[in-house]
Amino acid sequence: MKLNFRAPLSTAVAIGVGVVVLAGYFIPSLTEVRFILLRTGLVLAAVALLVGIINLLAVHFRKMGTNQTNSGYSLILVIALIATLVIGTVDMVQTYLIGRPNFQITNWVFTHIHLPIETSLMAVTTVSLIYAGAHILRKRLSIFSIIFFFVVLLVLLSSFSISTNYLPVFQSLRNWIIRIPALAGARGLLIGIALGSIAAGLRILTGIDRPYGG
Amino acid sequence: MTLTGFSGIVIILLFLGAMIAFYLTKRGSETFQLREINSYRRLSREIRRAVESGTQLHVSLGWGGITSSESASAFAGLSILKQIIKESSICDYPPVSSTGNAVVSILAQDTIQSTSQAISINDQKSYSTGELIALTPYSYAAGTLTSIRNPNISANVLSGWYGPEVIWLTSAAERQGTPIIAGTAQLPSQAVMYASATDPLIGEELFVGGAYLGGGKIHEASVNTQDIFRWVIIAVILLGAVLSLLGVAYPFQSLLGGAP
Repeated sequence: MKLNFRAPLSTAVAIGVGVVVLAGYFIPSLTEVRFILLRTGLVLAAVALLVGIINLLAVHFRKMGTNQTNSGYSLILVIALIATLVIGTVDMVQTYLIGRPNFQITNWVFTHIHLPIETSLMAVTTVSLIYAGAHILRKRLSIFSIIFFFVVLLVLLSSFSISTNYLPVFQSLRNWIIRIPALAGARGLLIGIALGSIAAGLRILTGIDRPYGG
Repeated sequence: MTLTGFSGIVIILLFLGAMIAFYLTKRGSETFQLREINSYRRLSREIRRAVESGTQLHVSLGWGGITSSESASAFAGLSILKQIIKESSICDYPPVSSTGNAVVSILAQDTIQSTSQAISINDQKSYSTGELIALTPYSYAAGTLTSIRNPNISANVLSGWYGPEVIWLTSAAERQGTPIIAGTAQLPSQAVMYASATDPLIGEELFVGGAYLGGGKIHEASVNTQDIFRWVIIAVILLGAVLSLLGVAYPFQSLLGGAP
């Protein structure tokens, strides 16, 4: 007979740690234990990052092996990952040899390659958001979509850096929308999300949902 | 223990007690009364369509981790992923899952393997994978476009933590002509999803996927409990507003402020 100890053990650890961490939020004497468990969790998450990077490499090596149309992108990713890893290692060795922080090459890579790429992607996102806002009425014509569209338009119009003397009504209407209905709506959504989070957390704590294979 | 801490424990225990009570009282009955959510009805339809047409579903779990406030979204996404695998077990091609967080990718792989084993999908090769696409929000969004543009993907589910870059994913699905069911716990991204996704999940709708996709009575009981607590919160807010208008000291103000 083959006994499977993995499932009950992982479930017991998850429930036990979860209950102690939750109790640590409310009971001051358990705060230190909560921090120890959270710090341990963060270290394990860092190890998981290494496992994830190995998984990432494996996935893209597999994609490169097949004749997929996007296999070129996988090749670029693998080369960039290995190059960054080598640069980071060289910088760390230099730091060790010199005896003070020396991450010049890593900083250069982030400042001259990573940052401009992320900034340009952010600019593309802005254009995409404007496109989506403009097409909402075509996509879903309902009373809520119409309200959404005109509120966005109104807030945009009143956000221009022209003098408020020209658009006094827009300015006061915008302030009213942001302070009353938008804030109330956001709070309502947040209350719903908080209740959903409590329910999801309790399902994990009681072992009803077990995303850890238990 | 502070009064705020004590009230926190009481609220959590009451929530848990109400969930168990709803489960026990309605265990024998056929089904719970749940309001209609069009996005989940659409998702069920898309699962059936994928089974019939031999296509795949793409489940994106976002880039949020499990050690901060993003964790609830990640767990909600994993719960939806589990139900989709169960529902599409007879599908030729299992769902594809992607994430931008290393820990969630491990949990996704574990969810996929344990669910597949539980429903006796013995062919290890037919398991879908929990792919780690990239580690930053924009690179994750850029990498996930490949999955969305895959011609064998018939529908996309976005369930996790996203920033405004989620617009890339919804726009790509629109260009591809595939439906996209999208939900997140981050408010600005919810607005983006509302404007661009075919079937957005608003507010707490993200967290009730298990109940609407056949996760079982306890999931349905948790939805009922959420509704009860929502009504209690509404009553407390209205009571506070009336008391403030009357000039009476509002007892919950000191409680929320961390009263000793």
